[in-house]
Amino acid sequence: MVVGIVILVIVVVVALLVISIYNKLVTLRNRYKNAYSQIDVQLKRRYDLIPNLVETAKGYMKHERETLEAVIKARNQAATASEAAAKSPGDPQAMQGLMGAEGMLTGALGRLMVVVERYPDLKANENMSQLMEELTSTENKVSFARQAYNDAVTTYNTTRETFPNVMLAGPFGFTAAVLFEIEKEEEREAPKVQF
Amino acid sequence: MAAGGTSTMDFFAHQDAARRKTGLLILYYALAVVLIVVAIYLAYTAAFVGFKAKTGRPLQDLRQLWHPEVLLGVSVAVLGIVGLGTAYKIHELSGGGESVARMLGGRPVSPNTRDPDERKLLNVVEEMAIASGTPVPSVFLLDGEPGINAFAAGFAPSDAVIGVTRGCMEQLSRDELQGVIAHEFSHIFNGDMRLNIRLMGVLNGILIIGITGYWIFRSTLGSGSRSRSSKGKGNTMPIVLFGLVVMAVGYIGVLFGKLIKSAVSRQREFLADASSVQFTRNPGGLAGALKKIGGWTAGSRIQSRKAEHASHLFFSNGLASTFLNLMATHPPLGERIRRIDRGFDGQFASVPRAGAAEPGPGAAGVATGLAPSPPALPAQPRSYEVAPEEVMSRVGSPKPEHLAYAMQVVEALPNELLDAAREPFGARAVVYCLLLNAEQTARTAQLKRLSENADPAVLAETRKIQEQVTRLPEQLRLPLLDVAVPALKTLSDVQYGYFMENVDHLVRADEKIDLFEFALQRMIRRHLEPSFRKVNRGAAQYGSVKALLPESVQLLSALAYWGNSDLAAAQTAFSKGAKRLQATVLLRMSARENCTVGTVDAALSRLALGTPAVKKRVLDACVTCVGADGQVTSAEAELLRAVADSLDCPVPPFLPGQNV
Repeated sequence: MVVGIVILVIVVVVALLVISIYNKLVTLRNRYKNAYSQIDVQLKRRYDLIPNLVETAKGYMKHERETLEAVIKARNQAATASEAAAKSPGDPQAMQGLMGAEGMLTGALGRLMVVVERYPDLKANENMSQLMEELTSTENKVSFARQAYNDAVTTYNTTRETFPNVMLAGPFGFTAAVLFEIEKEEEREAPKVQF
Repeated sequence: MAAGGTSTMDFFAHQDAARRKTGLLILYYALAVVLIVVAIYLAYTAAFVGFKAKTGRPLQDLRQLWHPEVLLGVSVAVLGIVGLGTAYKIHELSGGGESVARMLGGRPVSPNTRDPDERKLLNVVEEMAIASGTPVPSVFLLDGEPGINAFAAGFAPSDAVIGVTRGCMEQLSRDELQGVIAHEFSHIFNGDMRLNIRLMGVLNGILIIGITGYWIFRSTLGSGSRSRSSKGKGNTMPIVLFGLVVMAVGYIGVLFGKLIKSAVSRQREFLADASSVQFTRNPGGLAGALKKIGGWTAGSRIQSRKAEHASHLFFSNGLASTFLNLMATHPPLGERIRRIDRGFDGQFASVPRAGAAEPGPGAAGVATGLAPSPPALPAQPRSYEVAPEEVMSRVGSPKPEHLAYAMQVVEALPNELLDAAREPFGARAVVYCLLLNAEQTARTAQLKRLSENADPAVLAETRKIQEQVTRLPEQLRLPLLDVAVPALKTLSDVQYGYFMENVDHLVRADEKIDLFEFALQRMIRRHLEPSFRKVNRGAAQYGSVKALLPESVQLLSALAYWGNSDLAAAQTAFSKGAKRLQATVLLRMSARENCTVGTVDAALSRLALGTPAVKKRVLDACVTCVGADGQVTSAEAELLRAVADSLDCPVPPFLPGQNV
C-alpha cells in the first residue's frame, strides 16, 4: 500500500515536471516567433522605401540603369524570402534564404550609394535625402529587432539543449532555431536562394 | 439604471468587493472538496472494503461505514490531487495576463502593426487607456477564432492584457469595438481580473478529479478484460466501478465549478456593461456588438479546448449552450441588450462581411484606423481647480469627456513621436527624452552619460526627437509614456536590462532628484517588470492606514517639499494633507533631507500593499496636499497621476475648463 502511494507520487511528480518543461519550451518558442514579427514589420518598411528611392534616383541617374535594376531585383528577392521566413520563423531553410537575400540587397544598396555620391544634384534633392534618412533609420530598427530576436532564439536554444530538457525536445518536436545574422556578400559565392 | 445598487460604488469600493468575493470563492471550494472526499470515500468503501459486519449482514449499522484509516487515505489522496492541480494551474498562470492569453492561443499584436484592422483595434485600445490614465495594455489576437468575443486578464492594471478574437476584430465597427473594449476595461478597473485568475487556478484542482476518475475507468476497463483469466484473484469490476464513480463525482466538481463561476461572474457582466456605457456614452456601440453576436453564425463561441477553464473571463458566453447551462457564466444576450437598449425587439443583426457596410466617417479612417477627426486640443490652463472628492470619484471611472479628450491628445501628439513610441527602437528614445532635464547643464550631463552607455543609433534617435519632446505641453507627457509601454514590453530580456540601466543613469545624473522623473521611472518599472521577471504581486497586507502612517507621512512630505519652495508653505500643505488621513496621532512632517529617492521609493512600495480603502485615504491626502494652495498646476497634476499609478489607481487626465 505504501509502496503504491510512493510510486504514485513519483509518477505524478515526474508527469508534472514533463508538463512544465514542455510548457516552458512552448512559451520560449512562441516568444522568438513573436520577436521575429518585429523584424518583419521593419523589413516590410524597408522594402516599401526602396522603390521610391529608385524612382527618385532614376530621374538624375540616367546612365546607371544596371545599378538601379540590380537594387530592384535584390529587393524583390528579399521580399519573397522574407514572406517565406515570416511563415516559419527560425526554420533553418527559410532563415538562410532570407539572410542571403538580405545580404544581396544590402550589397546592392551599398553600391547604389557609392554611385549616388557622384551626383551632387541628387544628393541635394530633398526627397532623396529624406528617403535615405528613413532608410538608415529603418536599418537601425531592423538591427535592433534582430538583436531582440537573436536574444529570444538563444534563450530558446539554450533551454532546449540543457539537461533534462534535451531529452524531451526531440520527441516533442522542438527543433533548434536559427539566429538571424547579416551575411557579408563578399564572403559568399553566387547565393542559391531557396524558398 | 446600473446593476443593483452599485452605481454609487467607486473604483475602491469595487476593488474591495472583488476581494471579498475571493473569500466566498474559497468557501465554495472548501465545500466542494469536502463533498468530493466524502463521496469518494463512500465509493471506495463500497467497492473494496465492503459493508459487511462481522455478522455478515450488510449495512446493519451505520458505524460499519466508518473506516478511519480508509478515510484518511482517501482524504490524503483527494486533497493531494486537488491541491496539486490547483497549485500547478496557479503556477502556470502566475505569468499574469499574458499566460492566460497564450493558453487560449493568442498571439500578441505588434504595437507598430500596419495591418489596418489591427491598427484600428490598437487605436481604440490606446484611446481608452489614455482616457483612463493607465498604460496601454498589450493586445492579443485569437487568430483562429471566428466567433466574436474578447477578454481581459492579469493581476493588476499594470500587467493587464486584452484579448480579442479575429471575429471580433473583423466583424465589429469602430463604435462597437469601442463598446466591447470599454467593457473589458471596466473589468480591469473593477478588480475582476485577479479574481478570475484565482478562480481558474482553484477550479483546475476540482476538474482534475473527474479526469482522474475517467483515467481509472478507462485504464482498468482495458486491462481488466485482458487479465481476468490470468490472475484469477478477484475481478477488476470494483476498480472499474470505482473509476466510474470517481468520474461521476468529478462531475460534482464540474458542477460546483460552474456554481462558483456563475456566482462570481453573472452580476459583474451587467456591471461591466453599465460601466462601458458610462464610459463611452454610446449604448448603441455595445448593443450593436451584442446584437451582432446574436446574429453571427459563429456567435461568440470559442473553439479552443481551454475555453472551459476560462469561460468566465470572456465578454460573452464562449461555450456551446448545453442543457446544464442553468449556471451560465453570462446573462442571456437578450437581457443584456434590453438593459442598455430599451427598444430592443429581439431581432439580432444579420452580419454582413466586415467593412462592406461601414457607414460615415468611420470608413474614411479605416485604412489608418483613426477616429473621426476630433476638435483640436483646447488651450491648456496653467492650473486647475481641484476638489479632492471629485478626483477620487474619477479614479477608475473615466467619463465620455475623458474619451473625447484622449482622442484629442492622440491627434495633438506629433506623428513622429507617436510612430517612435509605438515601436521598440524609438520607444526607448522617447522615454530617454522624457527623462531629460529642462535645465541645460544637467541635460548635457545626462546626454554625456547616455552616450557612454547606449548604442550610438539610440543616441542619434534621442537627439533627433529631444526637441519635440521638450516642447510637449506637460499634460501630453504621461499619455506619450502610456503609448510607449506596449512597444517596450517587446524588448528582449537583455535589451530590457540595458534600457533600465540607462533610465536609472538618467534619473540619477543630476544629484538633485526630480520627483516627477522619479515617478516616471517607477511607472516604467512597475509596468514593464512583470513582462520580464517573475513579480510577486502580493495580496493586500495592510488593512488600516495606521499601519502605513510612516510611509504616508514620507510621501506627503515629499509632495509638500516638491510643490512649495519655502518651508512655511510646505508645512501648511503637509498639514492639510495629513488631516485627511484621519490619524489619531499628530503627524509631523519629515525633514527635507530624509525625503530621498530611496525612502520615497520604499514608502510607495509599501503603500501599494494597502487595501483599496487605505489607498483611497492616502491618495485623497496627496491630492489635498498638492492642491493646498488652491490651485493644481499642470505639472502637479501629472505628478499626482504618476504617484497614483504607483498605487495601481488609474487617475484619468485632468480636463481643462471645468471643475474636475
